[in-house]
Amino acid sequence: MAKGLDIGTMNIICSEREGDDVIFTQQRNAFLELESSDLTKTMLDSSKVLYIEKDDRIFVLGEEAFKFATIFGKDARRPMRFGIISPNEKDAIPMIKLIVERVLGKPGYRNEVLCISSPADPIDLDMNTLYHKKMMEALARRMTYETHVIDEGLSVIYSELADYDFTGLGISIGAGLTNVTLAYLATPVMSFRIARGGDWIDEQVSITTGLPKDHVCATKEKGFKLDLEVEFGSPEGALSIYYDALITYVIKNLNRKLAEITPPKVEFPVALAGGSAMPDGFSKMFERKLREAKLQIDISKIRLAKEPLYSVARGDLIAARTQEGEEVEESKTEESAE
Amino acid sequence: MTNTSSPGVLHRGTIIYYVGSVTFAAGIVLLAVGTTFITIFRIHYGSEPEKIILTFIFTGVGATLILAGINLMMRQTRYGYCIVGASAFTSLLALLIFTSNYPHNWRYPLISYILALYVVGFLALLGNAFANSILWMIEGKPEAVVGREGEEIKIYTDEEIERDIEEATRKSIELSASELKFKEPGVEEVKFGKAFRESRGDTIRVKDDIGEAISLRKTINHGERTKSGSVEVESISRSLGDVLRKEAVEKGRFGGIKDKIKGDIKKFHSFIRVKKT
Repeated sequence: MAKGLDIGTMNIICSEREGDDVIFTQQRNAFLELESSDLTKTMLDSSKVLYIEKDDRIFVLGEEAFKFATIFGKDARRPMRFGIISPNEKDAIPMIKLIVERVLGKPGYRNEVLCISSPADPIDLDMNTLYHKKMMEALARRMTYETHVIDEGLSVIYSELADYDFTGLGISIGAGLTNVTLAYLATPVMSFRIARGGDWIDEQVSITTGLPKDHVCATKEKGFKLDLEVEFGSPEGALSIYYDALITYVIKNLNRKLAEITPPKVEFPVALAGGSAMPDGFSKMFERKLREAKLQIDISKIRLAKEPLYSVARGDLIAARTQEGEEVEESKTEESAE
Repeated sequence: MTNTSSPGVLHRGTIIYYVGSVTFAAGIVLLAVGTTFITIFRIHYGSEPEKIILTFIFTGVGATLILAGINLMMRQTRYGYCIVGASAFTSLLALLIFTSNYPHNWRYPLISYILALYVVGFLALLGNAFANSILWMIEGKPEAVVGREGEEIKIYTDEEIERDIEEATRKSIELSASELKFKEPGVEEVKFGKAFRESRGDTIRVKDDIGEAISLRKTINHGERTKSGSVEVESISRSLGDVLRKEAVEKGRFGGIKDKIKGDIKKFHSFIRVKKT
């Protein structure tokens, strides 16, 4: 057994194998603080809402945090921002710890292999991911998992580009950020992160249309179709504009980073994944923009992950199972040597 | 981090550098000989034509070769080698015309043409060398040429070297922090809601055999090695190698070497066969 864990700005997703199936366990990476009272606790317990009580305060965790935020007219708090632990959120680490512990569950055995995906360092923000990476690693280690951290873009490549010998461009467009990795035969050649993703789109649309951010997010996640023809003044129109802007920004930076390296002279397929790549028409728009951009590498095919939201977690699981296989082989070799 | 195609710059092989050095040295020698001739023959306006021709040929060719050599040793722009070739050719052509026309047809305006031809070639070589030096200084990106002849030349720019150092530093920092152990802060009293004991979260079950894990293992361990683990095989291989090397050195001095090597190889093969069975 082995597990994969995708700790995203919006969702924390655990992947594991059970028989011939892969099970994805998911929880929203958000919480909401409420005043504690017996009535509230009874109500939350009867509605099977995930919460904890600490210092006369109630913290509603996960998906329900958004629902209650709408009811109470508050904003759900997010422990992560731009794909890493939010420095502005004092309760970030305890909350992530709670959600991760719950989603991940106890290991099947001591030192069960776990692969966590982590974002690369950003190119448009002055921050690095070391602290986040180490915190997440330590958190999983405390739960007695044998933890390995891999690049988020590489996870997409592991998950989606096996047919191409794990050679290609893996792009994960999440809520807080966009991760890009170029790999050749499963080896990363270039990796970077852009601090823009679904949240940036929501923020911009919210600012320009005056709609609440959660409403924009809900519109985006429920049947929004990315199209060239949009209605004047509609939130869908604004979403299309900012999606277009995000894609252009990603491709522009990709081309800039490609100029810094000498990639192998092969055709690279592109795999798109992440929650923000889910709207209909996204991959079509991305492909059109990518072809127009005339990248410094040859692009063969552009494909959207079968399950964009779970692609990173699936890639983590593949990496974990590979790691587990290697460790088993190593221990067998050692035993036979003895 | 290799860069073999920086725009506008023609990458020269090390052989061109050595050709340049030899040309430069030859030029120096010729110029020295020419200067010596001036002194020995005491060249003046009324000297014998043969002495004048010989002296001017040596000094003229020598000066041209010195400049051509300097140019070849320098990094050239896209058309640099064409300019060097054409300029050297112009100068040498002027000298050739001079030798064929001196002293019988040595009169104006032919003298002006020949002199102009030589000066044009000479100045073009001088100008090209000067322009390349300036260009190199302006770019301010000294490049180090690494590699042997016949290999693809790797040119590392300062930026690439800095990036590599940064990457290595980042990796070492990450490794250094991996030994840290985190303690749980003072655990405050936390009460968990009922739902905490019920499920781990929303679950989705997908039919998937994760066959990619096997492909990934194969890709990562491309060209897997099988450890023989046999000390005997390795020691015999080593001794066979030693024998072959020794015999190759002493080839010709002793007869029957071939038979000995063949015998050793046969022994080795038979040993391998025994090990396999």
